[in-house]
Amino acid sequence: MDNKLIDLQGISKSYGKNLILNNLDLYIKENEFLTLLGPSGCGKTTTLRIIGGFESPDSGKVIFDNQDITDLPPNKRHLNTIFQKYALFTHMTIAENIAFGLKIAKKSKTYIDDKIKYALKLVNLDGFENRMADSLSGGQQQRIAIARAIVNEPKVLLLDEPLGALDLKLRQDMQYELIRLKNELGITFIYVTHDQEEALTMSDTIVVMNQGYIQQMGTPEMIYNEPENAFVADFIGDSNIIASTMIEDEVVEILGAKFKCVDKGFGNNTPVDVVIRPEDVELVEPQMGTIQGLVTHLIFKGVHYEMEVEANGFKWLVQSTKLVPVGTRVGIVVDPFNIQIMNKPESEDEEAVTLDE
Amino acid sequence: MIKHLKRIYMGLVILFLYLPIIVLVVSSFNNSKILGKWDGFTLDWYKELFNNASIMNALKTTLILALMASVIATALGTLASLTINKMKRSTRSVVMSITNIPMLNAEIVTALAFMLLFVGLGISLNFATVLIAHVTFCIPYALLNIYPKVRQMDNNMYEAALDLGASSAQAFFKVTLPEIMPGIMSGFLMSFTMSLDDFIITHFTRGSGIDTLSTKIYTEVRKGIKPEMYALSTLLFVTVFVLLLLINRTPNEEKRRKKLAKGKKSHATLAMGMCIVLIISAVGYISFRDDSNYIGDVYVYNWGEYIDPEVIALFEEETGYKVHYEEFETNEEMYTIIANGARNYDVICPSDYMIEKMIDTDLLAPLDYNAIPNIKNIGSEYMESATGFDPGNRYSVPYCWGTVGICYNTTMIDEEVNSWSILFDEKYSGSILMQASVRDAYCVALSYLGYSINTLDEMQLKEATNLLISQKPLVQAYVIDQVRDKMIKNTAALSVIYSGEAIYMQEENPDLEYVVPDEGSNVWIDGWVIPKNSENKEAALAWINFMCDPNIALMNFNEITYSTPNIAARDLIEDEYIRNSQIAFPGESVLSRCEVYNYLGKDGDALYDGYWTKVGTAASE
Repeated sequence: MDNKLIDLQGISKSYGKNLILNNLDLYIKENEFLTLLGPSGCGKTTTLRIIGGFESPDSGKVIFDNQDITDLPPNKRHLNTIFQKYALFTHMTIAENIAFGLKIAKKSKTYIDDKIKYALKLVNLDGFENRMADSLSGGQQQRIAIARAIVNEPKVLLLDEPLGALDLKLRQDMQYELIRLKNELGITFIYVTHDQEEALTMSDTIVVMNQGYIQQMGTPEMIYNEPENAFVADFIGDSNIIASTMIEDEVVEILGAKFKCVDKGFGNNTPVDVVIRPEDVELVEPQMGTIQGLVTHLIFKGVHYEMEVEANGFKWLVQSTKLVPVGTRVGIVVDPFNIQIMNKPESEDEEAVTLDE
Repeated sequence: MIKHLKRIYMGLVILFLYLPIIVLVVSSFNNSKILGKWDGFTLDWYKELFNNASIMNALKTTLILALMASVIATALGTLASLTINKMKRSTRSVVMSITNIPMLNAEIVTALAFMLLFVGLGISLNFATVLIAHVTFCIPYALLNIYPKVRQMDNNMYEAALDLGASSAQAFFKVTLPEIMPGIMSGFLMSFTMSLDDFIITHFTRGSGIDTLSTKIYTEVRKGIKPEMYALSTLLFVTVFVLLLLINRTPNEEKRRKKLAKGKKSHATLAMGMCIVLIISAVGYISFRDDSNYIGDVYVYNWGEYIDPEVIALFEEETGYKVHYEEFETNEEMYTIIANGARNYDVICPSDYMIEKMIDTDLLAPLDYNAIPNIKNIGSEYMESATGFDPGNRYSVPYCWGTVGICYNTTMIDEEVNSWSILFDEKYSGSILMQASVRDAYCVALSYLGYSINTLDEMQLKEATNLLISQKPLVQAYVIDQVRDKMIKNTAALSVIYSGEAIYMQEENPDLEYVVPDEGSNVWIDGWVIPKNSENKEAALAWINFMCDPNIALMNFNEITYSTPNIAARDLIEDEYIRNSQIAFPGESVLSRCEVYNYLGKDGDALYDGYWTKVGTAASE
């Protein structure tokens, strides 16, 4: 598991004047489900295409299994790609689609037939051999695309927003399906998405990217609970991000009130950003709160209520299973463990960008 | 009620669209040659069609041309579509509009532009020039069908193929090409159809001896009633109709395939395959019929309907030369082609004054009489007359001669006809046919006014011009070859015509009579000449010698009924009435009042043309 299967070293890529990737370093371990997450234009798809061999980097190296494959064409790489729009060959039947790579590799007919059967069973589409590709639904087509890729026994499967074209319910089903497949096949998945929920659900490791840089890399829990900067915090889930001052170790002043926290080493009276997840904001009786505010909005969201509380000039986003009617005066408390302190961004690149998707 | 009205309306629209075609198709099965007169069902015209070597040759040319043009255009269109698809959006739309313009451009403009380009580059028109032109106008149609298929294709498909281990070539041939194949096929069929039924561009860019079905139909039909051509047109229509059905079927075919099982090649593929097999076998069959004693080619340029087709076959059989036979309608049309060097011919049959002009402009090669022993059969009086335009008989051998006169229908004209004046008589307004050529028209007017038909006197010409303009309202039509049909079918009462036509017309319609007016007229001689740039002069001389053979001259006389200068042939004429006919061989009294046309020189030509244009553009009230 610690083996670096793919190692990207100092990858840069630009299209004309647009710098897409800037000196990117990234490694992927064997048997890992790694997700490249970020808004469109962040460089995640380009990274994937460089691994797949469809783009070549302006500088840097792609190491695969300890071999430099930077200049190797896609058909010589032991990895397969699942494209967003499936890219099934519409002039072929499902069986012919799945057999494509095997026929190129000159496998025997019996081997190919067995593989087709096996792959269709794996993606729960047995008996679809003779259907034409575009007679299938989007989800079915996506599974065929996966079947077509995995029969070639790649070491790595590259998935480029594979669920992007599916509707919500189907997308959720397919997420579980993909996890199951990965576990059954035991191969490495590199997954590209802009959907943070998808990333959190499936990945072993998430790489959050923005404007050609890696913003943070870690497990879903780390990314969610301890975002390293405002961009990550904003991009992953809803957050209250508040400009604050670190008074001393374990004490932060938020909107004029002192909160206890667990972070140390920021120095005294240092300006920082504080991230508090909406589900971590507790509403209590006014006199019990660290600060006080007024409930101004209330929406029922199914699992919980979502409220907006105006306190000390900031509109707090609050999620709670308990209903607090609009107009109620409340107090706000936050568990010290749930206060995430971040350094102020040093470069522009770390600034949160407006998401266009 | 409304529903019925809608149906009736729809029916009318369809009728309106297809009525002309229906008339054509029905005519092709009509036993009678006369339009609008049903005389029983027959397949004779179709039989004649398939037995006609020149039509079969045109069919071969058409198929080879269409096949080559559409294959090349489709290949280029496919590559272009793939490239255009890779362009930036802005460039792409510009390129697409540029490629679409030729489709909307007036065909005549494209045709003319091509001709100018080739002639300007000094390329004489030949098969390659037609092919280039066809490829060019087919490309937009190929693009129109192929490009949307390329656009439709998932861009990742090619990458997916690479990803699965295919090399670039494998990815292209196994994935990209099959994916856009339906587009390529309809592009091919569309190009094929366009090339198949093109007329204008072919007409302007074809070289001598090259006829496609449409140019063949054109040359044949303008000469008169040709029910075989109705049959041919019907077949052409049916072919194009079937091809278009195939093209339109393709999309449905795909839908059907989606639902159905694997491995079935679409009907369109099948159809295209069949199409190609059919063409190759047809071409092979036609080529196979070609004679085996071939020793060379000869390109003949003659007046329309001016030879017994049997004679051409005999010549080929006897000499081994393959004849490429083409026809012109007026001396002026022929002159333009030769003087431009647009097409090369080996032997031509112009009229007297035109021969003089061609000698004058150094377009002709002197004849080697050693190669024309049959010259002895030509009457010395005709050789003598010919010196009027060809001093010393150096360049031409007389082929036919005759007079210009009036042909009239005795059932429509009660009075005796002996003067040109009857053509200016308002009584016969609307039933007069005039010749559409400048010299013949002025021959009528100048003779009537008592002037020389070669006059260069401006006053006399002005007078003649005014006379012709004043005559315009009375004239039913200015025609050339159609005179025959119109007179035979009683649709006109009076016409200006060559004596040779009159004999043929009398045979078809005994009510017709021919007269050379007392005021005098034109006596003309057409003769064989060899252009200077001929590449097959030996063959051309063999042709001329063959034409002077008495039996051949007789065959031609029997077929075309123009007077022959061949004394030996005249003696062979069986029909005593014709042998002594005043129309075919007028006496001295008639000839003495007739004049030959002389070449008027450049300025003279321009003068006549200028006045003739005035006649043409004058408003007829």
